[in-house]
Amino acid sequence: MEKAESSALKEIWGNLLSSPRRIYETAFRSGAPKTDRTRSSFVFGNVFLHLHSVRTHIWSLKWSTTMGLGIISTAAFLITLVTGILLMFYYKPYPDVAYQSMKDIHFVVPTGRFIRNIHRWAANVMVIAVILHMARTFFTASYRKPREFNWLIGWGLLVTTLALSFTGYLLPWDQLAYWAITIGANIAQSPREITDALGITQYFDIGGLQRTILLGSDEVGAEALIRFYLLHVMILPLILVMLMAVHFWRIRKDGGIARPDDADEIVGNEAKTSYPVFTEQPEKTYHLAAIVKGRTPAVGSGPENTLPSMPHLFYAELGVLMLTTFICLALALISDAPLKEIANPLVPENPAKAPWYFLGLQEIVSFSAFTGGIGIPALVWIGLGLIPFLDREKTGTGRWLGGPGGWNLFIWSLLIGFGASVGIEAFAIYFGWLREWFPDVPQLAITVINPGTVLTAIYAAYSIYVVRKHGSTRAGAVALFTCFLCGFVVLTVVGTYFRGPNWEFYWTPSDWPGH
Amino acid sequence: MKKNKYLLLISSLGVFALLVYAAVSENFFKEWHSIQAGAKTSEGQLDVRLRQIINPSLGTTDRCVTCHVGMAPGETVVSDLKVAAPHPPVVHSPTEMGCTTCHSGQGLATEKLDAHGDVEFWPEPMLPAKYAYASCGTCHVPLEVPNSARLELARKTFERLDCYACHRLDGRGGTLRPSPATGMEGPDLSHTGIKGFDANWYPAHLAKKEADTSGLWANSFGEVDDNERALLDQFLGLQMGAPSLIRAKAEYNSVGCTGCHVTGNFGGETGVDLSRVGEKDPARLDYSAIEGAHTYPNWIAQHFRLPLSTVQGSQMPDLALSDRQIDLLTMYVLSLRRRSVPDIWLPKDRVRAMRFGAREFASDGETIYKAICSSCHGASGSGMRYPGLPPYPSITNREFLELASDDFIAATIRGGRPGRPMLAWGDRQNGFTAEELASVVAYIRALGGGIAPIPDTRPPRWAAGDAKAGNRLYLANCAGCHGALAEGGEGPALNNPGLLTAATDTFLFETIARGRSGTVMKGFRTPSPTRRAMTDREIESVVTYLRSLGANGKRPGG
Amino acid sequence: MTTKPGKEASRFDPEPMPRRDFLGLAALGSAAAAVIFSLFGMLRLPKAAVLTSPSKKFSVTLPDTLEEGEAFIPEGRSVAVFKDAEGVFAISTICTHLGCVVASRPEGFECPCHGSRFAGDGTVTKGPAPKALPWLKVTADGNRLQIDENEEVPGGTKV
Repeated sequence: MEKAESSALKEIWGNLLSSPRRIYETAFRSGAPKTDRTRSSFVFGNVFLHLHSVRTHIWSLKWSTTMGLGIISTAAFLITLVTGILLMFYYKPYPDVAYQSMKDIHFVVPTGRFIRNIHRWAANVMVIAVILHMARTFFTASYRKPREFNWLIGWGLLVTTLALSFTGYLLPWDQLAYWAITIGANIAQSPREITDALGITQYFDIGGLQRTILLGSDEVGAEALIRFYLLHVMILPLILVMLMAVHFWRIRKDGGIARPDDADEIVGNEAKTSYPVFTEQPEKTYHLAAIVKGRTPAVGSGPENTLPSMPHLFYAELGVLMLTTFICLALALISDAPLKEIANPLVPENPAKAPWYFLGLQEIVSFSAFTGGIGIPALVWIGLGLIPFLDREKTGTGRWLGGPGGWNLFIWSLLIGFGASVGIEAFAIYFGWLREWFPDVPQLAITVINPGTVLTAIYAAYSIYVVRKHGSTRAGAVALFTCFLCGFVVLTVVGTYFRGPNWEFYWTPSDWPGH
Repeated sequence: MKKNKYLLLISSLGVFALLVYAAVSENFFKEWHSIQAGAKTSEGQLDVRLRQIINPSLGTTDRCVTCHVGMAPGETVVSDLKVAAPHPPVVHSPTEMGCTTCHSGQGLATEKLDAHGDVEFWPEPMLPAKYAYASCGTCHVPLEVPNSARLELARKTFERLDCYACHRLDGRGGTLRPSPATGMEGPDLSHTGIKGFDANWYPAHLAKKEADTSGLWANSFGEVDDNERALLDQFLGLQMGAPSLIRAKAEYNSVGCTGCHVTGNFGGETGVDLSRVGEKDPARLDYSAIEGAHTYPNWIAQHFRLPLSTVQGSQMPDLALSDRQIDLLTMYVLSLRRRSVPDIWLPKDRVRAMRFGAREFASDGETIYKAICSSCHGASGSGMRYPGLPPYPSITNREFLELASDDFIAATIRGGRPGRPMLAWGDRQNGFTAEELASVVAYIRALGGGIAPIPDTRPPRWAAGDAKAGNRLYLANCAGCHGALAEGGEGPALNNPGLLTAATDTFLFETIARGRSGTVMKGFRTPSPTRRAMTDREIESVVTYLRSLGANGKRPGG
Repeated sequence: MTTKPGKEASRFDPEPMPRRDFLGLAALGSAAAAVIFSLFGMLRLPKAAVLTSPSKKFSVTLPDTLEEGEAFIPEGRSVAVFKDAEGVFAISTICTHLGCVVASRPEGFECPCHGSRFAGDGTVTKGPAPKALPWLKVTADGNRLQIDENEEVPGGTKV
C-alpha cells in the first residue's frame, strides 16, 4: 500500500517535471519542422498559419511578383492596431478633454509621443501600401478569373482603410482635425448642390441627412467626436479584419498569387538551385488528400517548382513585416505627428487641408463640392469595382503589363495622364474657371463642367481610343487606370504643396502671406 | 531564397537599434532630467521625476515645476541653478494656484519651448514676466484706484514718513528699527487692501509713543497731518500684493479711458466695452499691421501707439502716450479678464464691484476728472481736437468759469448733452453722486486757476429780443461754427435741450458778449477787423432766438 | 429527401430539389423578416429625434458707433450684423461651400478654405460656393435684436 502511494506521488512528480515539454509537444504536435512532412503539418496544424498553403510556388516568392505590398499593408495595419490600442489607454473622446489627453500622451506618457508618431506613420504607410497593392494587382492583371471576387474584397478594404484614416483624423480635436472634418461633413452634405438646383431639397434632403448621421448633430461637436471614435476604434477595424480574413482565405482558395502559364518554365532552374531547404533531402513528394471531384490542384503543376511555406514564405513575410516596422519607427523618430492648436469653431484653419490622400479631391472640391467630394470618387469607385467583370481577357495574367499594348501603352498613358492633369490645373490656376468669366453662371453648370469632369472626359476619350486601337478592353483599362493614377498624383501634389491661404496657388509656403 | 533571410536579419537589427535609440532618448535625454540632476536640496540629490501642480477648481495642470523644480511643492533647492530657483514671495502660493493661472503658457507640457508657448501651434506664448501681475485681474478688481499722480504722491508720503522703517511692504522694509533683534516690529502691510487695517492706527501709534519709555517710539514716530493721513489711508487701501497692477490701473484712471470705455460696472459708451478684453482670442486678432512678435501684449501696445492702423475703422484717438504709459496701459488691458471660477473663489473686491457697484476709480474730483473727462476736455480742461472728430470745448477758460454757476456745471455733468458725445454721467446706472459731482466741479475750478462764478442777480429767463432778427444775426455770425440749425459743428451744439435747460439767459448773453478766451469763440461785444461790434440789444435777440430752439424744437425760420 | 427509385445515388449527384418545403421556407422567411426589421430599427438609431445642439437663437445690442457697411460680429457667433438707412440685417458667415467661417472685409466676405468670395449682400462673386450666404431672421425689440441662426429669410429683408 505504502509502496503504491509513493509510486503514484512519484508519477505526479515525474509528470510535473515533464509538463513543460509536454505542453510544447501538445501545442506543436508535428515536432520540429525539419522534414517536408513536419514542415507541412507545422503550417496546417497552426490556426494562425493555416491560411497559407503548405507549399508556395517559387514565382510567388519572387520579390518582383508582389513587391510584398499586401504584407506591408497587413503589417502596417498590425502596427496601427497595437499602437492604437496603447493610445486608447489615455485617449478620452470628448471635446477639449480629447485635446488635453493628446497633450498628456505627448508629454507625460512614457514613449507616448513615439507611439502616436508610429500610429500616424503606420496609418500613412498603410494607405500608400494599399493603393500600391491595388496598382500591382491591376498592372499584373491578377484580378482575373478566379480572383474577381477577391478584387472586390480588396476594393472594400481600400475604402475601409481610407475611412479608418479619415475618422482618426478628428480624434486629436485640434484645428487641423476640426476643419478637415467640417469640410468632410459638408462634402457629405454636398448632394444638396444637385437637389438645390432641382429645387427638391425640402422634400429629399439626402445631403443633409448624410451630414446629420455622420455628425449626430448639426455641428462638429461631442456627438461627432464619439461617432468618429466609435467608427475608428470599433466598427471600421472590425469590418477591416473581417474583410482581411476573407481576402487572405480567398488567396488560398484561388490558388495563391496569380502567375503566368509559363511560370514553371521560367522558375525551373531557380527551383533546382534553391532546393533543398535545410540539409535533408525530401523523403517523398506527396499531395494533400482532398475530397474533391476531379484532379487535385497539385497534379500537373510539378511540385518541384514549389517550396515549403515553412520556412521560405515565412522568412519573406516576417522580413517584410520587420521592414515595415523599421520604416514606421524610423519615420516616427524623424518626424512628429502634428498637433495644432485646440479646435476653434470660430477661426478656420487657413488653408484648411484634409489628409493628404484627399487633397487631390479637395482640388476638385475647390470648384464643386459635389463633383469632387462625391461625383468623381463614386465614378472611380464603381469603375474600379467593375474592372474584373469588364476585362475577361486571358493574355498577360500574372505578368507586369503583360497584356496588349504592354509597357509602351503604359508609358504613353503616363505621358497623357500627367500631361492632361498638369495642363488642366495650370489652365484653371492661370485663367480661372467659369465663375471668373461669367459671374452669374448657375452652380449646376460648374458641377457638370469643371477641371475634374473635363479631366475625366479627356481620360475616358483616350481610353476609348486605346480600346479601339488595340481591340482590347484590357488595354483601355490600363490606359484609364494609369491616367487616373497620374491625375491622383498630380492633383494631390498640387493640393499638398502648392495651395496656400484661401486655396490660392503658391510656389512655396514661404510665399504665403503672413497671417 | 537567402535574400529573405537577409531581409529579416537586417530589418530586425534595424528595428532593434531604433527601439534602443528611442528608449535611451526617452529615459536619459530629456531636458528636465539634466536640470533635476543638477539641482541639489539641503538633503542631497533631488529625486528625478516629473512634478506637477493640479488645481481642479481652476482647471489647471501645471508641469512647469518639473524644470522649475525649486517651485514644486515641498522642494527646497539650494544649488544656485537659476531655473530651479524658488518662486519670489507672492500673495497666493504657486503650489496651490499653479503656474499658468498667472503666467499662462502651456502647463501640460514638459519641454521648455512647448511649455513657454514658443512653438508654432500654441496660440499665445507665456505672458512676459513684467505683465504677470495682470493675471490678478482674472479674479480681482482693484477698487478706488486714484490717478497716477496721486498714487505716486501717496507712495512718496509713505516713504518720506519712513513707514518702511518698521513695516514691511511687498518684501521691502521693516528691517532697521525699532527692534534690530527681530528685524521689524510693525505688521506687514503688503495686503492691507484685501485684509483691511486698523482705521484708528494713528491714535493708536500716538498712544504707543506716549507709553513707550525706551525712546524707540519717540525717535521713530512723528506727527502726521490730516492730508498725509488721507493719502496713507488711500495707499493702504490699495495694497493687495500687486503694486504694478495698481500702477497700471492708476495710469488707466489718468488718461480718460473711462470717458469712452466701460470696464465692469461703469464707463462711457463711445468705445467698446473693455470688461473682458484681456481674454480676447489671439487667433481672431488681425496681426497684419503689427511689427514684431504676433502676441496679444504686442498687439495691445501697437494699438495704443497707432489705433487706426491696428484696428480698421477705429475711432480711438491717438493719445500720444509715452512708452512707459503704453506699457502700463497694456498691462491693465491684459488684466481685464473674468475667468469663470467657482463662486467661493470670487474675492471680496470682485463681488463688491459686480454686485454693489463699487467704484474702480477713487472718488476725488481729480481722479474722476482725469479718469473720465480728460480724454475729451484735455488734462488742463482747455478742450481737445482729434483728427476726424469734432473739437471738444474748453471748460477751464475764465469766462466759462465766471459765467457758469456750480449748479450749471454739475447739471451739465449729471444730465449731459443728449445726442452729443457728452453723456449723462449722473443720470445712469452707478452714476455720480452729488458729492462726486461737487468734487469734480471744484476740481474743474481749481484747474482753471480757482476762478469763482460771478453772482447773477437776474432771473434765469429774461431775454425778450426779436427772435427773427436774432436768427438773421445768428446766420450771419454764428452759423459758420455752430451750424445753420445750431446743431453744432466746429463749435458746440446750441440747440441742445441739455444746454438750453441748464443755461440762464445771462450765461448765454455774457458768453456771446465776452467770448471764451483761449478758444476761437471771440467776444461779439468788441469789434474785429471783419465785423462791427454787436449791440446788447442784438445779442439779446440772438439769445431769444436760441431760446426759441429749445421752446418748440422746431427748425428755425420754418 | 427522396431519390428516384431504381437508380443508385452517387455522392456527387446534386440533391434533388424538394417540391415544397413550407416549414423551411417559413422558418427562413421569418428569420429574414426579423433580421431586416431589426436592421430598420438600427438604421433609425443614428439620427436622434431631436438634435442635442443648443439653440442658435441669441440676442445682441448693436454698438452705437456701428457704421453703414461695417460688420458687427457678436461674440462667439458666426453671424455678421449690418445696419443701414433701411434697417438692420444679419448674414450668416458660414460658407455655403464646405462650412468654413468667412471673414468680413470692406468689399464683402472671403472664405479662407477654398477662396470663395461674396459681395456685401452675400451673393457669390468668385470661387466654388454654390449659393449666396443666407440672410438670417432678425426680430427687433427696441434696441435689442434677436437673431436665429437656424432660420433663413429671403435676401434683402431688413428690419
